[in-house]
Amino acid sequence: MPLQNSSKTRRKCVLEISDGSQYEGDLIGAPLTSGGELVFTTGMVGYSEALTDPSYFGQILVFAYPLIGNYGIPSIPPSLSLPIPRGIESNKIHTAAVILTIDSEEAFHWNSFQSLDQWLKDQGVPGIVGLDTRHIIHQIRQSPGLLAKILPEAPVGTRRLGNLPLPQNDGFFDPSKYEVVSQVSTPSRLRLGKGKKRIGIIDCGVKWNIIRQLIEHDCEVELVPWNENLADMDCNGWLISNGPGDPMMTGNLRQEVSRLLDQDRPILGICLGHQILALASGAQTTRMTYGHRSHNQPVYQVGTRTGYMTSQNHGYVVDEATLKPGWVPWFRNANDQTNEGIRHVEKPFRSVQFHPEAAGGPRESGWIISEFVAEVTCQ
Amino acid sequence: MPINKKLSNLGRTPKILVLGSGGLSIGQAGEFDYSGTQAVKALREENIDVIVVNPNIATVQTNPQPGVTVYLYPVEPHWVEKIIEKERPDGIVAGFGGQTALNCMIALHDQGILEKYGVINCGTSVATLKLTEDRDLFAKRMREIDIPIPPSFAATTLNEAKAAADNIGFPVIVRAAYALGGLGSGFAANHAELESLVVPALATSPQVLVEKSLKGWKEVEYEVMRDCEGNIITICNMENFDPLGIHTGDSIVVCPSQTLSDDEYQILRNAAQKIVSSFEIVGECNVQYTLDPKSHEFYVIEINARLSRSSALASKASGYPIAYVAAKVVLGFDLLELINPVTGVTYAYYEPALDYVTIKVPRWDLQKFKGASRQLGSTMKSVGEIMSIGRSFQEALQKAVRMVTENGQGISGYKNEVMQEDELCQQLKNPTDTRLYNVIQAFRVGWDIEKIHKLTDIDRWFLAKIREITIMETTIANLAQGPLVTLSDDAFIEASLKKLTPQSLRQIKILGFSDEQITNLLLKTKDLRLQQKPQTENTTVLPTQNLSERRVQNASLIVRKLRKSLGITPVIKKIDTTAGEYPSPSNYLYMSYLGLYHDPMVDDFKPPALVLGSGAYRIGTSVEFDWCSVSCSQKLVREGWRSIILNCNPETVSTDYNSSDRLYFDEMTLERILDICDFERPKGVVVCMGGQLPNKLAKPLAATGIRLLGHSPQTIDLAEDRSKFSALLDQLGIDQPRWIEARNDHEISEFIEKVGFPVLVRPSYVLSGAAMRVAYDKGSLDEFLAAAGDVSLDHPVVISEFILGAREIEVDGVARDGEILTAVVSEHVENAGVHSGDATLVVPPQKLYMETVRRVRGAAKLIAQGIKLNGPFNIQFLAKHNQIKVIECNARAARSFPFVSKVIGLNLADVSTDVMIGRPPHLTRTSQEDLPHVGVKAPMFSFTRLSGADPVLGVEMASTGEVGCIGPSFDEALLLSLEAAKCKRPKKGILVSAGPEYEKMKFLESAAYFKEIGLPLYATDGTAKFLALHGIDAIPLAWPGQGPDDALEVIKKGKVDLVINVPKALEHQELTRGALIRRTAVQFGCSLITNMEATNAFVQAIGRNPDFTRDHQVMPLPPYA
Ligand SMILES: Nc1ncnc2c1ncn2[C@@H]1O[C@H](COP(=O)(O)OP(=O)(O)O)[C@@H](O)[C@H]1O
Ligand SMILES: Nc1ncnc2c1ncn2[C@@H]1O[C@H](COP(=O)(O)OP(=O)(O)O)[C@@H](O)[C@H]1O
Ligand SMILES: [Mg+2]
Ligand SMILES: [Mg+2]
Repeated sequence: MPLQNSSKTRRKCVLEISDGSQYEGDLIGAPLTSGGELVFTTGMVGYSEALTDPSYFGQILVFAYPLIGNYGIPSIPPSLSLPIPRGIESNKIHTAAVILTIDSEEAFHWNSFQSLDQWLKDQGVPGIVGLDTRHIIHQIRQSPGLLAKILPEAPVGTRRLGNLPLPQNDGFFDPSKYEVVSQVSTPSRLRLGKGKKRIGIIDCGVKWNIIRQLIEHDCEVELVPWNENLADMDCNGWLISNGPGDPMMTGNLRQEVSRLLDQDRPILGICLGHQILALASGAQTTRMTYGHRSHNQPVYQVGTRTGYMTSQNHGYVVDEATLKPGWVPWFRNANDQTNEGIRHVEKPFRSVQFHPEAAGGPRESGWIISEFVAEVTCQ
Repeated sequence: MPINKKLSNLGRTPKILVLGSGGLSIGQAGEFDYSGTQAVKALREENIDVIVVNPNIATVQTNPQPGVTVYLYPVEPHWVEKIIEKERPDGIVAGFGGQTALNCMIALHDQGILEKYGVINCGTSVATLKLTEDRDLFAKRMREIDIPIPPSFAATTLNEAKAAADNIGFPVIVRAAYALGGLGSGFAANHAELESLVVPALATSPQVLVEKSLKGWKEVEYEVMRDCEGNIITICNMENFDPLGIHTGDSIVVCPSQTLSDDEYQILRNAAQKIVSSFEIVGECNVQYTLDPKSHEFYVIEINARLSRSSALASKASGYPIAYVAAKVVLGFDLLELINPVTGVTYAYYEPALDYVTIKVPRWDLQKFKGASRQLGSTMKSVGEIMSIGRSFQEALQKAVRMVTENGQGISGYKNEVMQEDELCQQLKNPTDTRLYNVIQAFRVGWDIEKIHKLTDIDRWFLAKIREITIMETTIANLAQGPLVTLSDDAFIEASLKKLTPQSLRQIKILGFSDEQITNLLLKTKDLRLQQKPQTENTTVLPTQNLSERRVQNASLIVRKLRKSLGITPVIKKIDTTAGEYPSPSNYLYMSYLGLYHDPMVDDFKPPALVLGSGAYRIGTSVEFDWCSVSCSQKLVREGWRSIILNCNPETVSTDYNSSDRLYFDEMTLERILDICDFERPKGVVVCMGGQLPNKLAKPLAATGIRLLGHSPQTIDLAEDRSKFSALLDQLGIDQPRWIEARNDHEISEFIEKVGFPVLVRPSYVLSGAAMRVAYDKGSLDEFLAAAGDVSLDHPVVISEFILGAREIEVDGVARDGEILTAVVSEHVENAGVHSGDATLVVPPQKLYMETVRRVRGAAKLIAQGIKLNGPFNIQFLAKHNQIKVIECNARAARSFPFVSKVIGLNLADVSTDVMIGRPPHLTRTSQEDLPHVGVKAPMFSFTRLSGADPVLGVEMASTGEVGCIGPSFDEALLLSLEAAKCKRPKKGILVSAGPEYEKMKFLESAAYFKEIGLPLYATDGTAKFLALHGIDAIPLAWPGQGPDDALEVIKKGKVDLVINVPKALEHQELTRGALIRRTAVQFGCSLITNMEATNAFVQAIGRNPDFTRDHQVMPLPPYA
């Protein structure tokens, strides 16, 4: 029996999980079936940033906070152009579906353009409300890697995720089996902003706030597709962006990046970019039992007592034991001591597992991006 | 080098002095009982010897315990210096005792005392404290680090304030430095209003800030913690439901914020980090902002670099033990090395993630103060608060209303007199303490969100959530249109609910409606139909009369039965600070209908007992009852029981994560207690520790078959029911003041014919104003009866003879199966007529005849056997010419329990718990007569915050807190406790205005001592003439407004600092000349005494101890026997 809160009568919708459990809630958004990996976030704010974060591609996002959509959804431009409006991290929803306890049907915030339900409908994304999200999160924690399906009453179709094939005989769709980066990277090169320094962003699903912050540090930015040949690129520094999926499922990107290690232009890796830089340097990544999915992950700079509150969303981690000579741990997680960042002892190469650009979540590690830009010199 | 490192290589156990906050008052209340107790606990864990200086004898912080030495002394520099001189502590912690501890710390530093004795300041430096408390220096620093602050100027004189206001432009707000709870603050629209605010503010504070008023913007607070390494965490943010202009302490506060986007959340979070770093705060800090509802623009309002009411709320809302961690941080530990004790897994360097919404609602008692303005503004007036937890905004809000009104019917039970349009507009525009119900009322009569938002500036999101509740109210009420009105209540309810699908009944519960609320709505409609009122189809005008609590409570059990049969029951969820991301052994629980599964719980196989707490603090129920609940719970834990506490007050020690094995932070209603019992299956429920609220639930609980620990339901009923108890006293041959329960005027006049005036009048149903008053003549009797509504069959009034000049005596003790195990006799300084809660209490008695004490003990013994007392009890007597009369018996712990227990060295709550679980009690052998000291308990009042209220004592309680001190003699204990209660020893001059003749006669007893005191003595003309007749020369003063140098000028000019003013009659006459003198004395910081026995005791004690502060040898509270 769904925990129905809304006065409107809504269609029923079932959540089926790969561990055999099933829950019935109410449908919001588009009446489409959908499938993906079941993940959660405990962030209390920043839902529009999360839903448009390409790193969640192909995942069904469960919000721990029971009231979502309170301040509505800002207006979203059709494509990427300056100035980039705040409150969103790409121009569309990348999650396979969303699971909530309560959605706020009306929003009154001065920056709100439409309600969450309306936005999901426009974007063709299904969602379920009226579920005991705290219980579902306990389940996800018990057995990681769960997959799930969204089955609304009388669906009118299936949510397509990029051009990935639908699972055969309605099995569970598992995004980690595909090179999902290909679905969120820019199809072609794109130059933005004016500035003395030109930063090449290897776009694995870059969050727009990374671009905003580079522009604010008056750099010129060039978005490069994930599978581009980087040899003939002339830029003053490289940023390997965040993105979805398994770092090993990124084609030959890590070979391309390892070539960049031969020259001296500064490189910064963020989240997936951090894992790819580590692989390019010869280290390995492993899958975590729980993953970090929240806006309050505490990290500390190795060798100091200085901590930073960070926002994170990742299921894979760099194995420090496999770091090659010249590479050292830069940050670690204060709770489980897993690696949160590596750097090269001489060369200006470094990367972090968390999101210094935040959007949603705490912003105190933003200096990492400013220091990177400072290190970039224009030839 | 951090202090803890210095302390660890001292080569001996380090010793730290902790400053307490003193007695509770409006603006500085129970939160410092919680944070002070946590600080002591955290320091003891580092095996540090702790010295506590706090005269608040009722707090858990001043419990004698190993490694803790308690000094029940005023938190004033001269006393703290003497204690430092004796104890030689290594460090001092002052961030856990509110403004009192902070101001004392600054004074100790400025007077060089800390330096002289080498005492290290653990926590934020005094330089920083000054920066944050001095409003002008604070504004300058904000401008330096470019954090926006509203245009403002500091002023130390009225002219400077006037210039500032002209510069900024009206309206402005005036706020005092070194004050909290908005003391001395207010809004001014013109120079006249400005002057009326600035002059009194400058009398009690060195500086005021005149600032542009931004009334109507949002008010948002952040709780932040910084360690010595500079690491900063934001524990949580809180959004005020009420806009800027209503003090945060008087606002409904929602945590976490609901209407802030990620951008706004992080902008304010960044600013908080920048501010706290710039001040190099070490420990906890509250940052207060105002945010433009139409943009990202914000200003900082103030910061409080100490534990505060908001940090106590944040701690309970987030589950993060702020005070505990802050105590370690001020010692020098950094957040990365400290484990968070709630999770046991994560470190203290962590920002809690919540997966629920909490709402704090203040509790006001303004109706008890005749004449006090009920307007809400920038000065705090609430006496307590509650916090509710839910997984929907409506669930949390409806729970909060039931918690603060202490009535299961919540908003539907609220008397909703339908006001006219303009009166409702007025109430919404100028909010009073009924602000929330006026908003609900507006929705019920069909207003829309826009109209209410324009009048109140409340965010439309909140209003939209409230509208969903009032819409559902109408839906429920309409269910009762169908069934036959001739059915019994139970059958009628069952028929009404049958039409609901299980899904819609669940939705009603999800929107926060209690079973009693559903019953109220159905039965009101039934009664209305019975009276055949025409029902127009769409606008169901909700009937106005409210139903008796008992009828609704009984009928609600049918709703419960039906609901449970459909499987619609609440689930238990944990507060674990990680929103379920990490597994956590937390035992901090709440119940919600927005879930289908209980959180996994570990069974400890111990016999469970459910201890009901005291709910919101208010006049008559404060920290004393929380002390009893905590003592009982900790004793149960020691005896191998699983102690489960149910409470909803975020300021208390009982709602701390380690005061019990399991804590349900939820509503104290029959429904929720039954829900908890369904899951926990307790061996019994303890109703005798939390004061009036749980005691009232004893009967309905027992009726549903729940076993009570301690007194049987029959015993509780015998003690509570006036006529049954009176009949028993007659049977036992124990005298009592004559009384009747009059049902008409004839019976009243017949009784008065017999006993004569004065009489004590108690109407059974009180519309508003005092529930109990003394009538001296026919005129005042008629006036009071008119205000109390018509005396009739179902609204009888109890009238008893009022015995003038009687001594009042109390017996606090514990009995088992009718036999008294231990009983302590205490005496009031004031004669009967001042409520026992406002009286000055003395243990052991000083001026009673031995024969009187013998008779009192004998009567208590008979009563205990008579009603088979089995647990804690309190009996109140009057005594005159050795004749004793019983006025009241409470079959529960009384508010004097912590005071009496600490003075005689035996925890009566522990003894009561032994009786309740059938263990042989541990008793003390020393009788109270051989005690090496005398204990005096004095009340604390908050009249400074209640503009318009007449600060006089009467039969109805008015104090908001208490202090208790011990001394080798009655004089010394009295002087200490009166100083701690802000009734300071006069240094400039004394003004006396003794009303009636017999009071003037009593005053002569102190006459001889005035020469000893040697201060100028002023008197109003009647008293001056009387004193002259008896050889005492006093400077005569004209009554207010009748001469150049009248009594008010003398006070305003600071020529006197003690005013003795005994009112004509024990009546409240608002605008009498005496009331004007009393109010002016309070407003200008003069000590005020309005009772002649207390005056004589105080004046004689001063006379006999001229250099008390110099001569007195400080003595700690001895440990329990
Ligand atoms: N500039 C202002 N305009 C309007 N209201 C204000 C302003 N500054 C403060 N207030 C109101 O006054 C209350 C008390 O002010 P505050 O500085 O917090 O005093 P305190 O130190 O006593 O808490 C605030 O909670 C706020 O509601
Ligand atoms: N008959 C009486 N004569 C004189 N004083 C009385 C009498 N009854 C009560 N009082 C005074 O009124 C106070 C409150 O009365 P009480 O019955 O104790 O009410 P409550 O239930 O609020 O404690 C008592 O503490 C006592 O000082
Ligand atoms: Mg404040
Ligand atoms: Mg009483």
